[in-house]
Amino acid sequence: MNKKVNIEDIEFGVDSRYKSNSERDTDGAALMEARLQRIKNLPVEQVIRAKLLQLKLKMEAYISKPSYDNHHYFSEFLSAYIDTIYNKRSSFAKDIDITPVSLSQVINNHRAPKEEFILKLMIHSEKTYENVCEFHKKTWYQVYFHEKICDTMSTQDKWRPKIEKHVKFSESLKLETVDNSR
Amino acid sequence: MTIQETSSGKIYNVEILPVEDIDFKSIDKKRYFFDWKAEKNYEIYKLKIINSNDILGIISLERIPEEWRIHIRLLTVSLENKGANKKFDNIAANLIAHAAKIAVAEYAELACVSLKPKSNIAQHYIDKYNMNITGMTLSLEVPEILNLIKTYDNE
Repeated sequence: MNKKVNIEDIEFGVDSRYKSNSERDTDGAALMEARLQRIKNLPVEQVIRAKLLQLKLKMEAYISKPSYDNHHYFSEFLSAYIDTIYNKRSSFAKDIDITPVSLSQVINNHRAPKEEFILKLMIHSEKTYENVCEFHKKTWYQVYFHEKICDTMSTQDKWRPKIEKHVKFSESLKLETVDNSR
Repeated sequence: MTIQETSSGKIYNVEILPVEDIDFKSIDKKRYFFDWKAEKNYEIYKLKIINSNDILGIISLERIPEEWRIHIRLLTVSLENKGANKKFDNIAANLIAHAAKIAVAEYAELACVSLKPKSNIAQHYIDKYNMNITGMTLSLEVPEILNLIKTYDNE
């Protein structure tokens, strides 16, 4: 490779488009062969780093937009987090000083996590992600409350009729309609 | 993600967003070197300083899920950010890091970002981003892809 290249030629960018599908397939096959060899020799700690980064990116993607699909995201992300770094979930429970039963109940959505649980998870994640990537302290909280908000908004037809009966306006509000057209 | 103004050393926060239809009016060949309209069938992202509308760099990507791979098709910085007198530093690096984040989000430890630059500029990418070389294809995989994200994705 020629190292004596004008910096202007380098920095404007790259045209890396394949000329044909067959070029793409041939290059892809050669690349895949080399990659499989490298993947085979990948140290376990690098696999864990990659999975933790993937988890963080998925959590950030989740909290960036509304999601109304009835998934239990907090517990799914929590199980992925624990299973990435521990062989046994009970070891994680021990590390954050809760019982395996309590942990299991949170993971299986039989009970909501207490605030202390999320605080411990926040501290645990800080340490875990230290050498992986930036990880906001608030991420677990954001996931938890984002799920709560999306769930509440998407199930109004279930809770609203009952709750609405207990909401009254004893003071009559005489608010003028605001004209936004001007 | 941040870029640095070369004249002042000032750091600016940037965001990378999908290119919208309206952007094609402004991303012409004169300032962005390629015919970006021809890339409409692919994912195209733009880099801009937060709260600014000026596009400083563009990247188009092809997802190849059967190979756990994201291929960089085109990558460019805007005209004034080219060469020794460029206004901002790290535009291309941030765009590559963005492609890397997509790959890791999709494929974790199997993630791969590839590109196939002309041979005379390949060495630059190998040196700067620690890319692997297979034939004429350069690639970022674990662990280098993780290190790149750690370096540039400081959010």
